[in-house]
Amino acid sequence: MIRNYFKIALRNLWKDRTFTALNVIGLTAAFGVAFLLSMYALFELSFDQFHKNVDSIYQVYTTEQIPKGVELSEANPIPFAGALRDEVPGVHKITRYVTGGPLITYKDKTLRVGSAWADPEFFEIFSFPVLEGNTNNPIERSTVALTEDTAKLIFGNENPIGKLISIKRDGEVVPVTVAAILKNLPEASSLRFGAIFNFMDLPNSFYKDKKDRWDAHNHPVYMQLAAGTSIESFEKATRPFSTLHFADEIATAKRDGAKPNAEGQFRQIHLLPFGNVSFTNFDTAELIVNKSLQYVILGIALLILFIASVNFINMSIAKGAQRLREIGMRKTLGAGKAQLFFQFWGESVLVFVISVALGALLSFSMLDMFQTLFRTNASFGLIVSPVLIFGAVVSLLLITFIAGGYPAVLMSKLGTLKALKGKLEVSGRNRVRNVLIVVQFGIAILLISGTLVLRGQLDYMRNKDLGFNKEQVIAFPLSSKKDHAQLMQLMRDELSGHPNIISMSASDNILGLGRDGSSSTSVMGFDYKGREVSTNLLFVDYDYPETLDITLVKGRSFDRRYASDSLSIVINESMAREFGEKDPLSIRFTLDDSIQYAVIGVVKDFNFQTMDKSIEPISFFMNSDKPLYQAYVKVAPGNLTQSYDIVKTAWNKIEPDAEFLGSFLDENIDRTLQKERMMTTMISSASILAILLSCIGLFAISLLVVSQRQKEIGIRKVVGASVSTITILLTKDFLKLVGIAFLITTPVAWYTTSQWLQNYVYRMDLTIWVFLAAGAIALVIAVLTISFRTIQAALKNPVESLKTE
Amino acid sequence: MLLELHNIFKWVTQGGKRIFLLSDINLQVEEGEFISIMGPSGSGKSTLLNVIGMLDGFQEGEYNFLGESVHAMKEKNRSKLYKEYIGFVFQAYHLIDELTVYENIETPLLYKNIKSSERKALVADMLDRFNIVGKKDLFPSQLSGGQQQLVGVARALIAKPKLILADEPTGNLNSKQSEEIMQLFKELNQEGVTIIQATHSETNAAYGSRVLHLLDGRRDHK
Ligand SMILES: Nc1ncnc2c1ncn2[C@@H]1O[C@H](COP(=O)(O)OP(=O)(O)OP(=O)(O)O)[C@@H](O)[C@H]1O
Ligand SMILES: [Mg+2]
Repeated sequence: MIRNYFKIALRNLWKDRTFTALNVIGLTAAFGVAFLLSMYALFELSFDQFHKNVDSIYQVYTTEQIPKGVELSEANPIPFAGALRDEVPGVHKITRYVTGGPLITYKDKTLRVGSAWADPEFFEIFSFPVLEGNTNNPIERSTVALTEDTAKLIFGNENPIGKLISIKRDGEVVPVTVAAILKNLPEASSLRFGAIFNFMDLPNSFYKDKKDRWDAHNHPVYMQLAAGTSIESFEKATRPFSTLHFADEIATAKRDGAKPNAEGQFRQIHLLPFGNVSFTNFDTAELIVNKSLQYVILGIALLILFIASVNFINMSIAKGAQRLREIGMRKTLGAGKAQLFFQFWGESVLVFVISVALGALLSFSMLDMFQTLFRTNASFGLIVSPVLIFGAVVSLLLITFIAGGYPAVLMSKLGTLKALKGKLEVSGRNRVRNVLIVVQFGIAILLISGTLVLRGQLDYMRNKDLGFNKEQVIAFPLSSKKDHAQLMQLMRDELSGHPNIISMSASDNILGLGRDGSSSTSVMGFDYKGREVSTNLLFVDYDYPETLDITLVKGRSFDRRYASDSLSIVINESMAREFGEKDPLSIRFTLDDSIQYAVIGVVKDFNFQTMDKSIEPISFFMNSDKPLYQAYVKVAPGNLTQSYDIVKTAWNKIEPDAEFLGSFLDENIDRTLQKERMMTTMISSASILAILLSCIGLFAISLLVVSQRQKEIGIRKVVGASVSTITILLTKDFLKLVGIAFLITTPVAWYTTSQWLQNYVYRMDLTIWVFLAAGAIALVIAVLTISFRTIQAALKNPVESLKTE
Repeated sequence: MLLELHNIFKWVTQGGKRIFLLSDINLQVEEGEFISIMGPSGSGKSTLLNVIGMLDGFQEGEYNFLGESVHAMKEKNRSKLYKEYIGFVFQAYHLIDELTVYENIETPLLYKNIKSSERKALVADMLDRFNIVGKKDLFPSQLSGGQQQLVGVARALIAKPKLILADEPTGNLNSKQSEEIMQLFKELNQEGVTIIQATHSETNAAYGSRVLHLLDGRRDHK
């Protein structure tokens, strides 16, 4: 029986090769892409889940009431973790954690290694297995644990255990013993480091100097909650702790008019489940755990599968009409409903099995491309688990069951006589088909609108005037063993007088995201006329506004002629508003109890942060002691590549050991848009695929409709209809469906895209034209697809089409 | 008694009016009979055969088949009944295009869950009997009309039905082919198979043991 079905299935599929091919191609593409997308989303969602204790690990963070509202902070003072453990019950294990990039030297090799500093309990809380060396405590004082890859990088094939490396700390070269080798970190880990040191081995400026200070917040803290303690009760139990240790901060907040929270607290310690850390943004007033991107991607994968399945259903139903006689015949020969169902369903299963297999092959072969395109290390091997495989099999069966089963049910339910006579209540079936086509095109239009809006916003952000010159300025990190100021001077000497080089400056922070991937923020609050004002801090070199073309609106910039400029600051317009003085140049204020600063100039607001934030207050300080990490060189507008090479050559001459990591600022800005770019690429590819698949479906249906109406077309032509009237007759029904899809989808698309744009303070205007364009694109493509066959049919000699009947 | 129809009425409602396709049909068929149904086009011959074959229902009346009341039966049991006892032969052959001659003949056995070895033997017998062994791997489209109808009859017979219902079995055949098929029917009838055929041809009707005339869905007794 099964063999007989199988044989028939193969013969049928072969007989309708065109449709089989269209189905298999569509489903293969859909499965391939769906596999990749869900793999990516599941990989992201699996972040940090590998820790055995993940359900009891938390990141400690604090909400602070400030006059403007609430602020979140994940940074804690040095004595915080120890005191929390001693004073609040419920802390099972706790560790401080901070990352950095020290230069590590071994023999004559020096390299920068992404590193972390933590307390020894780190290894009891988190699951980072030690392969070799001190398994008991891999980070005793003055020792370091390296991952396999880092060890290989430093030591090659030597055995690293017990060897001495040296790092630079507080201006001295300090020897450190390699105590352990760690298994390479899983890709899905949000904690990333190549080397990990004892927290107490941090530079003095970070650790020792602040050992007893409760007002210097500089690192996150992770802890494991004791069994039987609930988050709520723990958080509640920390209140006296906060009141005790942060009395000064609370007093200041009260004085400045901050309102206590609903529980009457000015500071509240909270626990964030560690599994949510990689989805959390601490820059907002409220903690937001956002997994929507991952779910959107999963959703897109489902939509694509849906579209391909709809094609399959529609083609199967339409083709069922050609198999009515077979159905009737089998019934008279004794076939039961169940037997017919299994026969037709079996054919579907065959198509699906082939497509799933090909789709899997496709996704494997596209994996490399996918990883590069979306800058991800996600791969199938990283996410496989019995549960996942089970889930995948179940969902594939479910899709096959529904997409293959529905047409099979329709066919097996047919009355014997009706089937034999080849009669079919056309209207009911067509309604289902039409609804499915509308949904299909609705999805396509939705995705196209999404693509257009994403692209629009990306273009907007790329081309927006940010208030500084991003085209002509090269930025590079001053990362080397030399002193920053000395290096800067050498670069100045090397480059000055060159016609292509217009001006040079430096600061302690970067605009956008540099090639070394670093970026940081530094915020300070201080008292001004009895209330607290806060500002972003930037330490700059001379010529900073000039080099970046930041417009000066009042006063002057730093000037070498005035020795007192180390006590002067230049602020932006937002900062001037924050001070609230009529004449900002009259502002004087005191920092660190005694040092008085004067505002000497105001610059126009410029976007020094990403565009999902409005422009915050910022103040430029010029303090020659502060290390300036980033250099900026403004070059002549002509030949930019040549200018870049000039700067690079100068660097290589001065610092031949360190790589030149310069890039133009517009590239840096682009780098900050990576998430948007990735989403755009993903949604564009998805919408292209969606429209392609919808068109395959439409094409197949048009083939069937034309073949079913061949006789009618022939008769109409004989009676005198023209090619164009026939084409219109055949096309208009489908276009109506695309039109309905457009009307239904546009409000949904408008709502979702405008909701998404709310994330950006600086955003494109959303006009109806975007959606009209999306509808028009879908319509044009649909018309082209259908016309391909309908025009052919309309042109055909009527005698021929009548004869075939 | 093989089957019995008592006061069968069948109608469709069109524009609020009943159109009778069959009215007050009474018929008793003994095992081993060979009945021909005749009547002008549209008189209800096919409809009656479909009712007898349980492919179609009716609104009023009683139908007993081998002592069981078909009219009171559930769909499932009804199909069990006809699967077991009835074979169909159609004017338009109704072979499955995707199956070979061999597979077409085999199909009813598959639906009766007969073992593979037994199936092979039965099909081989049938091919032998109808002299189509050489054609067994051909598809219907590769056969002549007469050969196709031969396969159709072979398929109707393979499950050893008690009753064969044939709706204009020779309608698409030339006179020589018709004669062959009718001869075959006669032989089958002599072997004990009951046959009911609908036909327009007096010659064909003459093969039967009795003729039933229909006119506008009624038996015509004149
Ligand atoms: N579903 C239906 N709705 C309305 N009328 C029907 C339906 N089915 C059959 N009829 C009518 O019933 C009558 C009998 O049809 P039937 O097919 O039984 O005729 P017939 O005797 O087999 O004719 P022919 O010799 O042409 O095959 C016809 O007039 C036909 O129009
Ligand atoms: Mg008829």
